[in-house]
Amino acid sequence: MNAGFFPAPTDSRLPVWLDWVLSNTQAGLLLLDAQMRIVFANKWFLLRARLTADQVTDGVLMDVFPVLKGGHFERALVKAVRSGFPALMSQTLHPSPFPLYAPAGSRANDALMRQSIHIVPMGPVDTALAGQRFTLIQIADVSPTVARERLLKAHADRMSDLVHIDALTGIGNRRFFDESIAAEMRAASRSGASLALVMLDIDRFKQFNDLYGHPAGDRCLQAVADVLKRVCRRPRDLVARYGGEELAVILPDTHAAGAVQVAKEILQKLRERQLVHADNLDRMVVTLSAGVCATQPVASDGPELLIQRADQALYAAKNDGRDRVFCFDTTRQMAMEA
Amino acid sequence: MKLNALELDALTEIFNHGVGQAALALSELAGEEVLLSVPKVEELSKREITDKLGAQGANRICAVRQGFSGPVNTEALLMFPVDQSLRLVQLMVGDDFPLAQLSEMEQESLAEIGNILLNSVVSSVADMLHIEFEGSLPQVELGQVADVLHAGSGLDDLILSLQINFEIASRQIQGYLVFLLDVASSDVLEKKLAAFIESLS
Repeated sequence: MNAGFFPAPTDSRLPVWLDWVLSNTQAGLLLLDAQMRIVFANKWFLLRARLTADQVTDGVLMDVFPVLKGGHFERALVKAVRSGFPALMSQTLHPSPFPLYAPAGSRANDALMRQSIHIVPMGPVDTALAGQRFTLIQIADVSPTVARERLLKAHADRMSDLVHIDALTGIGNRRFFDESIAAEMRAASRSGASLALVMLDIDRFKQFNDLYGHPAGDRCLQAVADVLKRVCRRPRDLVARYGGEELAVILPDTHAAGAVQVAKEILQKLRERQLVHADNLDRMVVTLSAGVCATQPVASDGPELLIQRADQALYAAKNDGRDRVFCFDTTRQMAMEA
Repeated sequence: MKLNALELDALTEIFNHGVGQAALALSELAGEEVLLSVPKVEELSKREITDKLGAQGANRICAVRQGFSGPVNTEALLMFPVDQSLRLVQLMVGDDFPLAQLSEMEQESLAEIGNILLNSVVSSVADMLHIEFEGSLPQVELGQVADVLHAGSGLDDLILSLQINFEIASRQIQGYLVFLLDVASSDVLEKKLAAFIESLS
């Protein structure tokens, strides 16, 4: 070892407070010589590595910590030492390179510490002074930051859910619908797949509310939403409340015929529930009307035309007597009974 | 500094060697192939760089800054439009973020990616032009292009600029790497470059 550059701690030329400073630094410090031997490790590091100074000093780093062999840390270290340029290893890309743990006795002492590491090799000037290139490795404990960010993200996820869910029915709300249909249009235009939209409306819902009251109307909407969720079970199917008593189903990778089948199944499953509606003409139970449209969008298409055509089909179904499915025929440019 | 076509070609070659090294390191990090290329090296004014980044819809950018000193003193800046920096980290980490901005830990990973790239590029300049540099640790900065470039008065000053294209999992991300050089450093760089071209012929 280069005794000229790094005198023994007892050397009178060193200020007495230097050892005290190193022992009380709240980050891990490891000093390596040009042969990757550990010249010095501070108290913070030893305590968390659960090793003594004798167990590490003069040992080759990769022998003392075999877990570092062949990994990203070794590659970054070799490159830094060769180029002389400092390197950073972030926690996100390498959570815990060194086997460091919270000091014994602490609550979370079995979890590996999350580490942010700086590898600082001597530049050309200091290397010339020291007669060889020493490298300082600094390790910061970022476990608390990681925990805090995880909490923040969980909150953000929850907020995002709250913003996108209809409080009454638990399905997506209008905002969710608007964002989803725009995203699915872009996805379909990229993949060349067909995208289908089903718009549904509860028949004579105003009369239902007048007859049974709004709390019953709320329960009716919840029942209809439940039917939609049960029928549309593919992972990418999206169900939303479009507004009032109007609901929508977005069906990626689906042609008009497939969407008509889904719509018919929804209507049938709702009839089977037999929710009493004495003012629904002669049907006596709650029923739905549905409008279907499918498209193979190109990149410049917005969702407006698809929504407008599905809506047009829905109103054709209403005008034709309700409790039925109409589909917008793109060749004839008109809504037809499906 | 006003470099001729031959000098710009030589720099393009040196920089491509550097980003090639960086691509290997980033591929190891990402666990899948990362492709990097430098289509061209130019001398651009700060105004032109601001316009180019602005054309990608970026008023605000995310930059990784590192200083290198020695016979040539330079501040190297790797700059991305903010949304591109998010995508880059997202692709490298393989995670999705509910937040619209990089968190502290994600900023640190961007610093690491920038550090790998800047060190590789400056290493190949050091090796091929025989210039010794002292390096520094990277810093992440967020802000307007002009602020990050300290444009202030010298909007028409020419700076050495490289467009860097990233391709990860067939997605493309574009960034700019610029070197801010003082007059004395520009002179040294030009002399070293001339000697390098001389040695090739």
